[in-house]
Amino acid sequence: MNRGRMRTNVLAGLAVAAVFTTAACGGNDGGDNGGASGDNGDGGIAETITIAQVQDQTGPVSYAGVGAKEGAELAIEEINEEGFLGDGVTIEMEELDTGGEIERAASEMNKAMADPNVSAIIGPTQSQQAATVAPLVGRGEVPTVFTQAGSEGVVVNDWTFRATPPMESYYEPALDYLEEQGAETVSVLYNATFPTFALLGEDDVPAMAEERGLEVVQSLAVQMTTQDFAGQSQQIARENPDAVVMLLIAPQSVTAMKQLGTAGYEGQVSATSVQAAGNIAAAGDAANGLIYPVPYSTAMEAEGSVAFTEAFEEKFGKDANPYNADGYDAMWWIARAIEASGDSSREGIREGLEQVASEGYSGAMGDVTFEGNDARVPGALVRWEDGAETLVQ
Amino acid sequence: MQDVLNATTLGSIYLLFALGMALVWGTIGILNFAHGATFMFAAFIGHLVTARVELPLLGVIAVAVLVGALISVLTQLLAFQPILKRAKNRHAAELRILIAGIGVAAIPLAIAQRQTRSTPFGLRSSYSPQVYEVFGLRITTTAIIIIVLGLVIGIGMTLWLRRSRHGLALRALGVDAETSAGMGVNRTTLAFGTMAVAGGLAGLAGALLTLQLGAIAPETGDQLIIKAFAIIVLGGLGSMAGTVIGAYVLAGAETLVLVMNWGTWVDAVSFGLIFLILLARPQGLLGRKEVRRT
Amino acid sequence: MSTWYAMNVVLVQTTLTTLLLALSIQVPLRFGVFSFAGVGAFGIGGYGSAIAMVHLGWSTWPAVAFGAVVAGLVVFLLGLVVQRLTGLYMGMATIAFTLIVSVLAVNGGDLTGGAMGLYGALGEISVLQILLVVLLVVALLHLTELGGMGRRVDAVRDDPELANALGVDVVRYRQFSFLVSGLIGGLAGAITTLLRSTITPAEVNFHLVILALTAIVVGGSRSWVGALIGAVIFVWLPTWIGFLAEWERVAYGVIVAVAAIYLPLGVLGVAKDLWHRFRTREERARVAALAKES
Repeated sequence: MNRGRMRTNVLAGLAVAAVFTTAACGGNDGGDNGGASGDNGDGGIAETITIAQVQDQTGPVSYAGVGAKEGAELAIEEINEEGFLGDGVTIEMEELDTGGEIERAASEMNKAMADPNVSAIIGPTQSQQAATVAPLVGRGEVPTVFTQAGSEGVVVNDWTFRATPPMESYYEPALDYLEEQGAETVSVLYNATFPTFALLGEDDVPAMAEERGLEVVQSLAVQMTTQDFAGQSQQIARENPDAVVMLLIAPQSVTAMKQLGTAGYEGQVSATSVQAAGNIAAAGDAANGLIYPVPYSTAMEAEGSVAFTEAFEEKFGKDANPYNADGYDAMWWIARAIEASGDSSREGIREGLEQVASEGYSGAMGDVTFEGNDARVPGALVRWEDGAETLVQ
Repeated sequence: MQDVLNATTLGSIYLLFALGMALVWGTIGILNFAHGATFMFAAFIGHLVTARVELPLLGVIAVAVLVGALISVLTQLLAFQPILKRAKNRHAAELRILIAGIGVAAIPLAIAQRQTRSTPFGLRSSYSPQVYEVFGLRITTTAIIIIVLGLVIGIGMTLWLRRSRHGLALRALGVDAETSAGMGVNRTTLAFGTMAVAGGLAGLAGALLTLQLGAIAPETGDQLIIKAFAIIVLGGLGSMAGTVIGAYVLAGAETLVLVMNWGTWVDAVSFGLIFLILLARPQGLLGRKEVRRT
Repeated sequence: MSTWYAMNVVLVQTTLTTLLLALSIQVPLRFGVFSFAGVGAFGIGGYGSAIAMVHLGWSTWPAVAFGAVVAGLVVFLLGLVVQRLTGLYMGMATIAFTLIVSVLAVNGGDLTGGAMGLYGALGEISVLQILLVVLLVVALLHLTELGGMGRRVDAVRDDPELANALGVDVVRYRQFSFLVSGLIGGLAGAITTLLRSTITPAEVNFHLVILALTAIVVGGSRSWVGALIGAVIFVWLPTWIGFLAEWERVAYGVIVAVAAIYLPLGVLGVAKDLWHRFRTREERARVAALAKES
């Protein structure tokens, strides 16, 4: 019996080895194919242009991926209907699900890159997924526009672009507002295991506060797994600063807002765009008066924003959120790029994206400008009041 | 003092969550990794119900407890029972029960994530917590309810298991299932009863925690599972009193770290502590000597 | 073939690294040690190799070796410290170790890149190279499943007293299993990290423990073939059931639970069973024929 087992095991091992080695040999030609693309090769715009959206459609952060998908769908509808790229030219989108996992993001990206029909990719929203695939798209030479993914290591080569500005680039208005309101002391409560918030809470916010003469009197770091904020809330209430900068993920924010109220803290709280998309709604009245800067809000008055807000409401029957705006702007950026270079091949789109970036555009997020391949927006400071956002003037 | 109060509240939260898991593990020997999903889904159904009708506090709790018990019984019926029936001995079943629990847990999690897109959800209730201030200490009614219920159920259950006939039968199962079955203990019925109670406790914890925290996300249950596991092991497998102590030890350690404002070290300190306690007491704080479960 | 390969090369890589991770948990299990330190080793190996590359400017394979050796040593030392623990107590202590590794990474300042993790550690690793590493590891492990060595390992797991009586140094064997688990886990972490160029503290978590454990139990826990089957199943499952779109995760849960319930020895057990029947079909037919005649 022992001999029988051994034989099967060895056989299985050999079979596996054989499959992988043959595969590995074939692989080298496969990799080179990545560069050539676009349906009809040298220049020109293809009849059908396929864009792959490689983002979380399921899992814990699906709101970002699904949100971007809806925005992109709206953009495609507009682009195709108005014949933006010429008569009969249509954009199609293919969704690939990264399921909240880094490995899967790498694998799905790879699939999209290896598919010669895919001209450009809208890449993962999660920083860690994006940072993992960024070197890959550089190697595979496929133009990739990321949305969200606000950390370093994402826009790292000529093929990586980002349509959403990193949070620290539009956080200043919040501190401007606190300064205007006469705040002198501020406490920072932040999730130190969430990359974006770690960066903001440790470096950017203290620096911005110092520039404005605000004193950071307290800096409380918590972890991803922290669920109860009674202790932190009371520490803050005891210190009683004029304002609190709260940088927490969605469920944490709800709890912290409620418990700050319970602890008797009555100062101004400034949060982040995580609170947008109704993520703070569960806190009820406790969240009234909360302010946060967002790259996009239904309350924004720029021409592009208003047009997007109305079109979105009409198509989906609900208010647009920043993730919708991400997908919408990313898809339009790609369309403008194709128009600019007159070439829907991968290289053509890359050149077009750069060209559009150097000029900037007016989109859902208002007038978008660029630092290299990385978007910057004016942003807006909004206040949450009874379940709706209003602009803070 | 306020910090001690906070630690007590946090400990009671952990305790309420861990009690059901500890009960099932200590008696019928099932380590139910679907407990966190049961907890979350009970609160989630509560959320769906209260979004349509506003319920008083007891109504919300009743819904959550019923849902929790139902999920737990279904888990037992569809997953654990078939495994135990097929397994040659309990040792062989242990790992598979663990994995089955993980599989079962993925189902409610996926449904809740799909429905909410992982936005936090809360409970709507005509009950609104009051804040009391006594001797400069602030506490909410929800926190009082959690502390009282946590302690009453925790201690009550310890005593009940020790004193009552049913408790004896259950503990007998935990020590030697075959012999006790031979002595007239109806294993299947008791197992279902225990799972129902544990599920009810998960639901209770779900409702109360959601009220205390304002909202939870679908992933909240996952985060609590690992803490509950730590508490149960720390207290000593099979000991309810140990679970009670374990919950407060973990909460105390975490609160201490927060007071010192070493926020990012919380897990290192609390799990480091558990690690050290286990080195000093390999059977947990109050664990009975393992018969043989390697 | 080559388009298929180009599209799926990452899945092939992931299958191999997941196999290594699963093996790092399976090895101690086969020695009767319920240790999850392999996942902590994955983190140490990943960070070790990334640090060697980013900060020290080492090239790919020395960096991988560095990560694996450091992980192996640390886990070996851990094994010496926790050797008194058994069963789930051992499981908890090693999970605590894994979580502490993650916290250290968060608080490691510039060395580990804090919460952002380390970027830009892109190694030059071909699939063929990973395959050679995996084949080497598997070949060595295969030796521990054969003949006298295999029987001694089985004895250490199933009946340590008997093993002791037979002159097998159980303690020494189990310490050795920690070293091997650390080395393999470290290799898995180092290769994974250098393949994707980044590592962050959030990756070294409980979910990785669950993935590894699920792969082993569903695949088959007694042999490396089981770990391979498990790795293939869980890496490729999303591709196979992708058509279910949003219900994919529900299906995943059902598949895991059903496997735990109905496949006591994992997929490998079923495969062996079928193979055995296939090989003995003539004999069985003869016996049946004989039975009929008489």
